[in-house]
Amino acid sequence: MPGRRNPLLTFLFAALILLFTGGPVALALYGSLVPDRILLDPNRSVLSEGPSLESYRYVFTGELPASYRQASANRAMISDAARQVPQSLVNSSIIALSAMLLNMLLGAPAAFIYARHAFPGKKLSFMFLILSPLVPAIALVTPIYMMLEGLGLTGTRIGIILVHTAKALPFTVLILSVFFRKMPQELFEAAVLDHCSRLQAFLRVALPLALPSIGATGLFAFMLSYSEFMFSMVLSGDAATRPVSVVMAALARNTDVSWSLLNTAIFIAIVPTLVLVVLVWRFVVEGLLNGSVKG
Amino acid sequence: MWTTQRFPAIWLLPALLPVALMTIYPIAYALWTSMHSVLLLFPDTPFTGIDNYVRVVKSGYFLDALYNSLLFTAIAAPLVVVLGTLTALFLQRRFLGSKIVRSIVLLPWVLPGAISAVLWIWVFHPSFGVLNGTLRALGAIDGSIPWLTSPKLALISVVVAHVWTQIPFAVVLIMAALSAINSETLEAAAIDCRSPARRFRHVILPEIKPMIVVLLIYNALAAFTTYDLVYAMTGGGPGTATTLLSFQIWKESFSMYDFGTGSAVAFIVVAISAVMILAITRALPSDLFEGD
Repeated sequence: MPGRRNPLLTFLFAALILLFTGGPVALALYGSLVPDRILLDPNRSVLSEGPSLESYRYVFTGELPASYRQASANRAMISDAARQVPQSLVNSSIIALSAMLLNMLLGAPAAFIYARHAFPGKKLSFMFLILSPLVPAIALVTPIYMMLEGLGLTGTRIGIILVHTAKALPFTVLILSVFFRKMPQELFEAAVLDHCSRLQAFLRVALPLALPSIGATGLFAFMLSYSEFMFSMVLSGDAATRPVSVVMAALARNTDVSWSLLNTAIFIAIVPTLVLVVLVWRFVVEGLLNGSVKG
Repeated sequence: MWTTQRFPAIWLLPALLPVALMTIYPIAYALWTSMHSVLLLFPDTPFTGIDNYVRVVKSGYFLDALYNSLLFTAIAAPLVVVLGTLTALFLQRRFLGSKIVRSIVLLPWVLPGAISAVLWIWVFHPSFGVLNGTLRALGAIDGSIPWLTSPKLALISVVVAHVWTQIPFAVVLIMAALSAINSETLEAAAIDCRSPARRFRHVILPEIKPMIVVLLIYNALAAFTTYDLVYAMTGGGPGTATTLLSFQIWKESFSMYDFGTGSAVAFIVVAISAVMILAITRALPSDLFEGD
């Protein structure tokens, strides 16, 4: 974007955005490195004892932090749920990646047809898609649980993947159709002149141009699945299938659990996802946008 | 625009079928439940017509919860869209560290609602909270401001936390829409329009308007049906200051075990959401929903 820039103003805006979006997460990082007794004492800070990685060691190896091994320590402050975090990250990644891929595969053709074609039943089926997420999920938990129970899919990752895919699909189609609509009509007219079939026009013209947008919407499906709690909780079984949101909620609702341990779990849960989101956003979405569309 | 006489089933069914599977039967079931008396302790489920709906509307919490939900949505949804758009416009610039800022903005996205609540309690906590601590250190206040326990402040606090969780998605979508604008359009605009504000209004805004409408609808729905974040932060209190209508679905169903009444609340929420979507698409017409 052209125009004059005031470096001070830019810096100020950037600092504000960083403070608002990153601030609470920075607090979690701080809390995870400092034992509770320092955290809750207004007169002491991380400087009085230096950072400690005890909580991190407990989550990965099960070795109790020294401060909780004393005779007077409150054992309720240590929760087994924290030890489930690494496995739950694996579960969440499998579930969310599957939901993301399914959304891109199933959603893109439908979005293309809605954006570029007129056909009987278009309005009705589109309205169905748009209006289907209206019903609050809480009201649907019981019937969906019974339905998946009948199919033998409760307590498995597949059941959760199915629900998350269906939850994100209406938004995937809606958002992608906005992008397909914005493509210049001449491109498709040229494709027709070249005797491209509908499938060829989709695969050779629309899809390559829309890849960044498809990446961005796929990311949306990923995040929706990763942070979804209710269905994950009802449909997951033991610790082997439990996703991150369920484990974290169990930790957060345990009022005894140590702040430091909770913050450690939060931070461990954030980092791999953040890395993935940033990689997809940076290399897939931005890379493609700068390369193919604009150039 | 191509015209086809047949319904393009091969293209559409992969997307429509999973959605239909997860909506048609469950919604029908919930609708049936809302018109019967379904209580966990009684095996009989007699037909009660609209009794459940009448009970909800006449209940003590209904007007308060409806007011809170509407207020919450009316503040949160536009705020997310405006802040998201401003942030996205700003992040289009390249400056030292702009890539880092772009990544940090995505942070709130990766957190489940229950966790975001924990982080924000940490900020707003009256005695250990960072906000009060900072204000105290700056000498702005003496005691502590009851962010989560005074009715007005509690609503503001939960709106802030909710907006925080929704910002990244708004930024990502608006940035994607901004990047999809034809660069020739932007170059022409740079020559024709000197002031950035007018350039935004006359050139950029029309281009990203469909996306803004989609975002506004999504956020209105998200705000109107949210319950976990707000509940985890305040438990609906103080008093009924942050009791939201959507939370009552959960409360009736899973804490009172009155599934009939819970479903009735759910369909009241559906009806209001539908009106809201209609109002948004009327107020901000875009070619998105035209059959053309």
